[in-house]
Amino acid sequence: MNTSTTPTPIIVARNVDKRFGSFYALRNVSASFTEGQVTAIIGPSGSGKSTFLRTLNRLEKHDGGEIVIDGIELNDNLKHLDAVRREVGMVFQSFNLFSHLTILRNITLAPMRVRKMPKAEAEAKAMGLLERVGLKSQAHKYPVQLSGGQQQRVAIARALAMDPKVLLFDEPTSALDPEMVNEVLTVMRELAHTGITMLVVTHEMGFAREVADRVIFFDEGAILEDTTPQAFFTNPDHERAQAFLAQVRHGF
Amino acid sequence: MNWTKRYPGWTMFGAMVGLLVFLWGLAIPLSAAPAPIGPAAMQFAEGARITVWLTLIAGSVGVVLGVLAGMGKLSKFLPLRWVCDFYVWLIRGTPLLLQILFVWLVIPTVMPASVNLSDFACAAIALSLNIGAYNTECVRAGILAVPHGQIEAARALGLSPLQTFMDVILPQSMRVALPALANNLASLVKDSSLAYAISVVELTMVGYRVQAESYQPIPVFLTIATIYLILTTAFTTLTSALEAKLEVGQKR
Repeated sequence: MNTSTTPTPIIVARNVDKRFGSFYALRNVSASFTEGQVTAIIGPSGSGKSTFLRTLNRLEKHDGGEIVIDGIELNDNLKHLDAVRREVGMVFQSFNLFSHLTILRNITLAPMRVRKMPKAEAEAKAMGLLERVGLKSQAHKYPVQLSGGQQQRVAIARALAMDPKVLLFDEPTSALDPEMVNEVLTVMRELAHTGITMLVVTHEMGFAREVADRVIFFDEGAILEDTTPQAFFTNPDHERAQAFLAQVRHGF
Repeated sequence: MNWTKRYPGWTMFGAMVGLLVFLWGLAIPLSAAPAPIGPAAMQFAEGARITVWLTLIAGSVGVVLGVLAGMGKLSKFLPLRWVCDFYVWLIRGTPLLLQILFVWLVIPTVMPASVNLSDFACAAIALSLNIGAYNTECVRAGILAVPHGQIEAARALGLSPLQTFMDVILPQSMRVALPALANNLASLVKDSSLAYAISVVELTMVGYRVQAESYQPIPVFLTIATIYLILTTAFTTLTSALEAKLEVGQKR
C-alpha cells in the first residue's frame, strides 16, 4: 500500500456482482490493486474469496460491475480475454498440471502455443524456471510421479513461463500435506520480492502476516476489511473478522 | 500382456509386421492343405485382405467421424448438437445390414450417373458411418471424463478453445475412450462380413462360395473362423499396445 514508487492500479474491480442462481457469491465488490502489491485474501469458506479471484481472469463471468486489468476491460470480447489471460497467471488449489505431458512440456506448452516461442527457447526458459523452484532434475517426469508440493512448484513455474504481470493463487497450499506446505510458501515468498503483483487466497495466516502488503477479508460475498496485515491481525474492525481470527489462531 | 505393457512400441510394430506377413503369406501354408482348402488358398488370402482393408478404412474414417460427432454432441451450438444426435440415433437404431443395402441401392439412384461407386466403396461408406456413430459415444464419454481443472488451467494460461481441445482435452480423452474404441474396432473386423450381402468378396463370402462348391462346410468355416481369430488378435494386440503407450503419466 505504501510503496515509495507511484502506485499504478493494474487491477480495478468496480461494484462486481456474481450470482449462482439466486445465491449472491459476490455483492458489489470494489477493490483495486497496484503493481507489485502482494495481497492476501482471507475469509471463511463460501465467503466469495475464490470466486472473486476467478472473476479476475474470467474463469467465472461477473454478472454486474466492471473489471479492468492493465487497462483492458474484461467482457465477452474474446480478444480482450486472450490479452488479459496472457497477463494474468493462475495457480490452482489442485495444481491442475496436464497429466499427459512431462513437467517440461507442461511449462513450455503455453509459451510455444500462445507466445509462439521457438521450442529451444521455451525449453531453456522452462529449465531456468524449474531451477528457480528447485526441480530441475524432475523435468522429464510426469506429474503423477511428483509429490503434491513439487507439483505445485511446477504449477508456479508454468504460470511464470508466460511472464505474467499478475499471479493469482487460489488456496495454493490447501491440498497439500502439512510437511509440503513450506516448500511452496518458500517459492511464493521469493516471488513476492520480485515485484510481481500477487493475489493470494489463503488460509496460511502466517504467510499472510509475514509476506503480504495488504489483507482483504471476505465475508458473505463482500469485502469486510481491507487493510494492512499489521492492523488486521492485531486489531480487526469487524466482529466477524475477530471471530474468524479467534478460530484460526488455534493453529498457532 | 506384460510384454505389451513394457514395450508398447515394439509390440505395435510386431503386430503390424505380423499382420502384413500373415495377409501375404497366408496362401503358402493354406495351399498345402487338402481339398477343399488347398485349391482355394489364394481366395482365402484375398478375402482376408479385403476384410482387413474394409476394417482399416472404416476404422480410420470411423475414428475421425467419432471425434467430430463426439465434439459436436458437446457443442454449445444447438443445431450442430441436433445433427450429431440425429446421426447417432439413426445409425444405432437401424440394422447394419440395412445400412449397407441402403448405401448400395440408394446412392446410385441419387448420385449423377458419372459417379460410379464400387461395391467395396459402398460397404466402406456404410461401415464407416456405422462405427462412427458408436465411436461418437465413446469419444463423448472420453471428453466428459477430462477433469474440468485441466481445461481451466489451459484457458488460464491463455490457450484458445481450439488449442485447449487439441493439446489437452483430446489427448486426455483418448486415454479414456481408447478401450471402448478398440472394442468397436474388434466388432468391425467381424461386422465387415455383412458386406457379403452386396457381393463384396471378403473372407466370409469366400468361405460361403468354397463350401457351396465343395459341400464341405466344416473345414471351410473352421478355416475362416481361424483367420478371423488371428486378425482380431492382431488388431487387439495393436490397440492394447497403443493403450499402454498412452497410459504414461497415468495413475497406476
